Amino acid sequence: MTAYLIRRLFQMTIVIFGVSIFMFSLFNIAPGGPLTGLQQQQRRITPEERARIRAQYELDLYWPVRYTRWLVGWPQGPLVINGQEFFANVPVGCYLEATPEQGGGCADYVYLSEVPQLHPKVRSSRGILFGDFGPSTVVQAGQPVWDLLASRLWATVELQVISLALALIIAIPLGIYSAVHQYSKFDYSFTTAAFIGSSMPTFFFGLMFILVFTILAGQIQDMWAWWPTLPPGLREAVRPYDVASWLTSVQPGSPLDRFLHLLMPVMVLTIVSVAAWSRFLRSSMLEVLRQDYVRTARAKGLVERLVINKHALRNALIPFITIVVLQIPLFFAGAIVTETVFAWPGMGRLFFDALNRSDYNIALAFIYVTTILTVVATLLGDILYSVIDPRIRYS
Amino acid sequence: MKTKKFLVIALLTILSLVVSACAAPATMPGAAPEAGQEMGSSSGVEEFTTPHPILSDVKVRRALAHCIDRDALIASVYPYAEDAAGLQMDSFLPKTHWAYSGPYEDMPQYDPEAGKALLEEAGWTQAEGEPVRTNANGDALVLKFTTTSAQFRQTWSQVMIQNVADCGFQIIPTYAPASWWFGDTTGLARRDFELGAYAWVGQADPGGRTLYACDQIPLPSNGWEGQNTMGWCNEAASSAIVKANNTLLREDRVDAYNIVQQEFAKDVVSIPVFQRAEAEAWGANVEGFTVDPTEYSSANASQWSLSDGGDTIVVAMTQEPDSLWGLVSSMAASAYVIAPGVGQTFTQFDYDFQPVVQDGLSTVESGLATNEVVDVAAGDVVYTYDGLPEVLEAGVKVNDAEGNAVEWDGASPLQMNQLTVTYKLKPYTWSDGTPGSAADMELAAKIECDRTSGATSFAGCDTIGMGEEDVQNVLDNITFGEGLEMTVKYLPGAQSPTYYLYPFGNTGKGGLYPAHQVVGDGRTLADVPAQEWLTLPEIAERPLSFGPYYVKEWNKGQNLVLEQNPYYEGDVATPNIIFVFVADTNQAVAQLLNGDVDIVEKSTLGAGAEVQTVIDAAAAGQPIEYELSPSPTWEHIDINMFTK
Repeated sequence: MTAYLIRRLFQMTIVIFGVSIFMFSLFNIAPGGPLTGLQQQQRRITPEERARIRAQYELDLYWPVRYTRWLVGWPQGPLVINGQEFFANVPVGCYLEATPEQGGGCADYVYLSEVPQLHPKVRSSRGILFGDFGPSTVVQAGQPVWDLLASRLWATVELQVISLALALIIAIPLGIYSAVHQYSKFDYSFTTAAFIGSSMPTFFFGLMFILVFTILAGQIQDMWAWWPTLPPGLREAVRPYDVASWLTSVQPGSPLDRFLHLLMPVMVLTIVSVAAWSRFLRSSMLEVLRQDYVRTARAKGLVERLVINKHALRNALIPFITIVVLQIPLFFAGAIVTETVFAWPGMGRLFFDALNRSDYNIALAFIYVTTILTVVATLLGDILYSVIDPRIRYS
Repeated sequence: MKTKKFLVIALLTILSLVVSACAAPATMPGAAPEAGQEMGSSSGVEEFTTPHPILSDVKVRRALAHCIDRDALIASVYPYAEDAAGLQMDSFLPKTHWAYSGPYEDMPQYDPEAGKALLEEAGWTQAEGEPVRTNANGDALVLKFTTTSAQFRQTWSQVMIQNVADCGFQIIPTYAPASWWFGDTTGLARRDFELGAYAWVGQADPGGRTLYACDQIPLPSNGWEGQNTMGWCNEAASSAIVKANNTLLREDRVDAYNIVQQEFAKDVVSIPVFQRAEAEAWGANVEGFTVDPTEYSSANASQWSLSDGGDTIVVAMTQEPDSLWGLVSSMAASAYVIAPGVGQTFTQFDYDFQPVVQDGLSTVESGLATNEVVDVAAGDVVYTYDGLPEVLEAGVKVNDAEGNAVEWDGASPLQMNQLTVTYKLKPYTWSDGTPGSAADMELAAKIECDRTSGATSFAGCDTIGMGEEDVQNVLDNITFGEGLEMTVKYLPGAQSPTYYLYPFGNTGKGGLYPAHQVVGDGRTLADVPAQEWLTLPEIAERPLSFGPYYVKEWNKGQNLVLEQNPYYEGDVATPNIIFVFVADTNQAVAQLLNGDVDIVEKSTLGAGAEVQTVIDAAAAGQPIEYELSPSPTWEHIDINMFTK
């Protein structure tokens, strides 16, 4: 097991390194970027101004240099040994491109000695390997990315954990019941509902909920006075509001207010997860129920409840572990669409903003952490297999 | 073994990528092209200097404009707009702009028969049953049309394509990603189009020199500088646009802009399609809310109130400010918050300027500004014809005292105009209770003209001194008088038409900094180097305010809370304003209808389908109000008169 873990950790390091260099390259070769639309601001932009703006985003440095600065915070300037500078005249970028009349190419190189002046430490990263994701360049210009991530993390964890717990509580019994009562009326109804749930996009459910519980709620209340008007978005209100005649003056920031704001996004995430997971568990259960050891258990005269819960369910849950552990990265990554539709101030919305506005430092930090969590979750899943299924040995 | 091979290959690939990315370019800087060397073209002729075989003919351009039914285009994207005529344009300025002197009847309006007749005159005939016209050589009247992939533009352009097809044009559309079309080195920036559609944002000061002057045509030889992507060089229009941007008196400017607009209408190098519509919506109990084309509605937030006596107004915004330091932020969301939450020196309502903290506009007429003719000599720092501060020497091109562009020979006597302007501020008090002082203005000059601040433009500072070399060169030309005033001696040749506006801040937003403020590490703000300001919470997140409100709290991703500045001397109708950050327009409208927010401002509401939801809700009796108005942003089709 130890050898296996060491091998896996080594592989994980390569995967994480590979993903980081791949994503960094991808962001750099993709069209667009923070300079898109600069010409459209209807003012004169001289080549010098453009060069200055490029330098603010470190686009004046060659991308391998940017990559190492992002990864390990190096180079920050020439190598200094005993007060003597080395490699000071090594070009590490191009500050100002030459016009064709000048022969093209670079008119003004960035030398290592100029890096501290052009890219002062106060605005640079110490390297993500040392836990510094650098400053945000666009979304919150100049603010540390880590602060931004931290400010959004709890909102996402709250949403994801609650919806995950709810989805598991609902999906597992549903899947079992549906499998045990295969081809019953319940099974057919449940299968239909599950197909609808898993085939419709989350934004559809989100917008439908907002329509029914917010926009049309007033009209529905004309028929049914008890119908609630739920807050359509955000994490908490900013002033008191009424839900229905039976619930008035909900105070902003109160537990009830937080609960009401959670309702719709949690419902959407839960519906989608329940639809998919319960179908998965139903299939898994059906496969296990046909196994010889289940028949044997029944032949031994065990009561059906024990057969299902002890012999069938435990085995049916093994593949289900993969699905559940892979939800771990979502605690960080969030649900981009749901958070956007419900204006939930979480990680998913931050990532969406960062991509839309070419804030590469935030986007890369997000991808980097999600990658680490994904490979760790995969490892955790593999370890759990061996715990749950004694037949599996890692040696 | 396989793993080893894989690792070796991976390492070699990475190494080759690194080497190729770091490799010096094949041509070293400074190397001049050899005789006969190509200038961005395989033919030996510079790109975009060969007249376009179809579009260089003004008759074809006029015919094209005649064939476009602007009303139909407007109806396709704004089905709810009742006054389509109010969005139509016949110039590059909206009809309500002070510099508009139209109507310009030379700009062809919808008249397909006139368009067809012009095409016949130009030699483009249409055979019976043929959909596309051809000329005597058998060439078809086919043009490429490029714009972004935005649904809005795809919609109106499809109507336009159908319109012009009825006249015998065939249009091949390309709906490119905005990242390509507006890219730094692609699309529009490289004039890679025949017909190209996009939008300009109209401003209180029309500017326009970079768009319509002959020396602003982007070419490979000038490093693609300029925004005159049509390649339009009309001497009368070019001289007039230069004069309009180099003249102080408004009457003279109106006359100059009139000439440019007349020539623009005659030559039809760009077809103004329509002004965009924009909408703002608010709860029926909100009072004092005003909508304006060129100023943010929050500029008069101190006058907003709730008829039910509520003490908090909630505003929905889809964008969250990136910083509350106006110098480095170009976001509308930042300016929207800064206006009430930090303060304004002047506003720009209704395509014009009004002083706020600035104590009157410092015009020549008011006696606060003088424009004198001065002798300049070699070695003096002057403001050049190209808009840069330079040391005067032979070969430098400047505007002389008569306004003529001259290249100095290094010996002749030269006279230039020099502006000296005194800017006075009304007494103001920071939100920590400290009275404002001239030191705040001095700090503004020191920081905003410092190249390390993170600002993207130093155009204003460049009119005062050579700040690129040392910010002290700028400060040397500013004197701070007793009380709240400063006098700026602009460089000879700097004749900014908006000289009368306080020169620091983002078009009137911010621009004063509390020199006395002590920051987190114990230094005073005046002692913090400019390069650190971007990361200072005291500047970017919780700045002191000289406006009606100050930033009390900023919950990232959720809301930003403004509270009444207790030291503000004017009236404030509602003590709290909260900006909530919602992700999309649907959500903002839902919150408005739900009563969770009171105001949905224009950049959030936009002019899409959600406006119809608001209109329907108001018609159904929901307690909301809205206003649709012509935006200063206008869609147009540029015509590239030259080919690659």
